[in-house]
This record gives sequence, C-alpha cells and structure tokens, in this order.
Amino acid sequence: MTLNLCVLTPNRIVWDSEVKEIILSTNSGQIGILPNHAPIATAVDIGILRICLNDQWITMALMGGFARIGNNEITVLVNDAEKGSDIDPQEAQQTLEIAEANLSKAEGKRQTIEANLALRRARTRVEAINMIS
Amino acid sequence: MSCSNLTMWVPSKPSLSDASSLSFRSFLNPFQLPSHNSPSCSPSRSGTPIHCGLRELRGRIDSVKNTQKITEAMKLVAAAKVRRAQEAVVNGRPFSETLVEVLYNINEQLQTEDIDAPLTNVRPVKKVALVVVTGDRGLCGSFNNSIIKKAEARIAELKGLGLDYTVISVGKKGNTYFLRRPYIPVDKFIEGNTLPTAKEAQAIADDVFSLFVSEEVDKVELLYTKFVSLVKSDPVIHTLLPLSPKGEICDVNGTCVDAAEDEFFRLTTKEGKLTVERDAVRTQTADFSPILQFEQDPVQILDALLPLYLNSQILRALQESLASELAARMSAMSSATDNAMELKKNLSMLYNRERQAKITGEILEIVAGANALT
Repeated sequence: MTLNLCVLTPNRIVWDSEVKEIILSTNSGQIGILPNHAPIATAVDIGILRICLNDQWITMALMGGFARIGNNEITVLVNDAEKGSDIDPQEAQQTLEIAEANLSKAEGKRQTIEANLALRRARTRVEAINMIS
Repeated sequence: MSCSNLTMWVPSKPSLSDASSLSFRSFLNPFQLPSHNSPSCSPSRSGTPIHCGLRELRGRIDSVKNTQKITEAMKLVAAAKVRRAQEAVVNGRPFSETLVEVLYNINEQLQTEDIDAPLTNVRPVKKVALVVVTGDRGLCGSFNNSIIKKAEARIAELKGLGLDYTVISVGKKGNTYFLRRPYIPVDKFIEGNTLPTAKEAQAIADDVFSLFVSEEVDKVELLYTKFVSLVKSDPVIHTLLPLSPKGEICDVNGTCVDAAEDEFFRLTTKEGKLTVERDAVRTQTADFSPILQFEQDPVQILDALLPLYLNSQILRALQESLASELAARMSAMSSATDNAMELKKNLSMLYNRERQAKITGEILEIVAGANALT
C-alpha cells in the first residue's frame, strides 16, 4: 500500500507524490502518518512537516493550515510551504532576529498578536534548516 | 514659410470612451512640447484649426508616430501579462477547489455542533475597515479612478451612518491618493508586487485578522475591481469579515450597514450553521470518507480553515484586480493607438496638401518671372 502526499498552497502545488511516512505538526502535537492510517481531519500548526522518501528525511516549513487524511491520501492545505533546502539560512536567521525584536517592543493586543505570529513563522523556518544539517 | 489657411479639426472618435482619449492626451503632451515652440501650433483638441508650417507639421507627425509605437508596445505587454495573470489563477485553482470541498464537507459534519469561531463573530458595527485594492501604475483608463471613487462613496456612506472607519490601502496609486489626503485615517499602506502572491495576501490577511480579532474593527470590507471580461470590469464591495451571510450586519442602532451591492458570499450560513455555497463547477466529493475523525475540536479545525479561506479570498481579489488593471490598460492603449493612427493620417494629409500648395506657388512664381522677361 502506498501513501500519497499532496501539499497545496494558494500559489501552486508544492508536493504531489508517493511517500513512505510523514510527521506532521498538528495543533495537538506531532503525529506520524503511515500507510492505511485512519481517516482524520486535523488543523496544521505553524510548524515542520517531515517527509520520508526513499529512506531520506525531507523537511518542509508549513505556515499553518489544514490536513485531511483518508484512503491513503494526505491532502495538506497551507498558506505557504517552503522546503528546508530552499530556505536561505542567513535570511531566515535575520528574519527571526527582527521578529524577536518586534515582539519585545510590541504594544497593545493587536501588535502582540501580529508579532507573535511573525515570530512563530520565522522560528519554524530556522528550524526547518537546522533539521537537515 | 507660408502658413496654410486650411483648417483641420482632429475628430475625436465618438466611439472612444472618455478615459481612453484622456490617457492618450496625457501621453501625447510630453512629446509635443519640446518639438513645438511656435504658439500658432496649438493643440487641436480645443477645437482650434491647425496653422502650422511644414516643418512643424513634420515634427508633429514624427511625435505622433513615436507615441503610437509606445502605446502599441504597452498594449502588447499588457496582453502578455494578462495571460500570465490567468495562469496564476489557474495555478491556484487546485488549492481553492480542495479548500471549498473540505470546508463543505467539514461543515456538513459539523452541522450538529455548536460552533463559535472568532472570525464568524458578528458584533454591533462601530468601526469598519476598508481594504482598497488599486493598481501600481497609471495609463490604464479609469481603472484606478473608479475604485478610488467607489471607496470615497463608501466612506461618505459610512460617515452618513455615523460610523468610524479606517482604510488599508493596497497598491501604489491608492497609496499616493490617500497620502495626499491626511484626513482619511489609513491603517496601513501595502505595496503590491507585479504578480500577487500568497505572501502578499497573507500580509493583508494578517492585518485584517488582527484588527478584527482585537475588536478594533467590527467589519472588514474589501473594495476591488472584479474582472468580468477583457472589456468589462466592475468595482465591487465585498464583506470579508465577519464571515457571514449577506446582509443582517447591523450597527449599534440596528440599522443595516451593508452595502447595497455587497457581493454574495461563497461561505454562507444556513439556519445558523456555516455552509459553503455550491458552485456550478464543483468537483465530486463522493470519495470523502464518512467515518472521518477529528483530531481536535471542530472549533479548532474551523479556526485553522477559516484563515485559509480568508487568504484565498484576498488572493483571488488581488488577482482579479490585476487582471482588470491589465485589461483596462490593454483597451486604453489600443484606443490610444487607434487615435494616434488617425491623427497621423490627418496630419500627413495636411502636410502633403501644404507641400503641394507650396510647390504650385513656386512654379507659378517661376512661370510668372519667365513671362515677365519675354
């Protein structure tokens, strides 16, 4: 039995092929998905998706969304997805530092919400790089 | 050099829209000015006949030729870009189709549950945020103007209802417009790229989301130009948040503050529950497993889905706005090219006539001189 993964963003299809296993960060923690998984629907947090393909692990930074699993079909709908190998480490690190600085000077509820979101996105991108190396 | 007593009226084609002749004129002037210093050569637009010398006429013909080349090129560029914009829409289709499908299925399964997601929260409206989507460049007929006018009309309407408002301006043209008018409160200026991407939509969605969730505003409206066809596009107002059915959004006094032409929502509620309106092109959803389990609370799942929906709505609006802009530019430039062609024809006719008159005059002078000698 093969497992099919399809990662969709509003711009394009990021991933659409067979995989061996994936580890998905959901809102209630990470879950591993193997073939013949029970059909579930889950919210996907801003976090890392790890894909096992030909005994190699690939990481992908997901920017929050939704996943549907069933019939050995995984459909992941996210706002944005980036492969770890496509992210520029320096740029990601810089964004993280800026985001951290922004959070510390955020005032009011609204700015805090915005800064927190930005920080989590930046952190995920940095993590996605570090997983490989 | 003799001035011709011929009069020429440059006809403005009655079929041309106001906007296209405008765009042509504004484009022509910079070319005219340096090449003409004689005051007798006034622009023909005002209806005065052209009294030009041969040399001035030649200059004018050249400048019109140059202008025509440029407008022609701009038209072609816009046409190529329209195709790219269409491709972007097609690329985004798998995502939006799956999203609508999933949303529909989840909502069907959630019918029995009591859902209270923050993005569907309908509050009495005290302050409204207007997201105004304009283009980055001019020379596209009345495209930017009409959307800004629409925004102004909406602002006046909100003022009349005694509601507070704030503007989120997207696009360079809108930014300069609102920067020049400091009495309009602007929350954020966002500059668009050449091709709208999910990142851009995300930036707008983040802003709108935090404004709404922090209860700074109680309603978010999106003003953009809807792409109908290559020759037709309409500025529309679309309620973005709260995600709710058409109408029934009331201010403190209970009067409805929805725009009359508010577009019908794809995501609607049926008997108090969220449902998604079916499209004619909806894909089959039969393969969806009925024994689907929810990993989290339905509320959390909706929380994850609705921002996605919000994003895709904004992205679609941006894409439609871009397509409309390019289409508007294409038609404006094509009528400008037509106009230039006609102007060139008339000018060269005038030029030839005058040249002939001059030659005839010279021959007459020679013949008369020869006659006088004999």
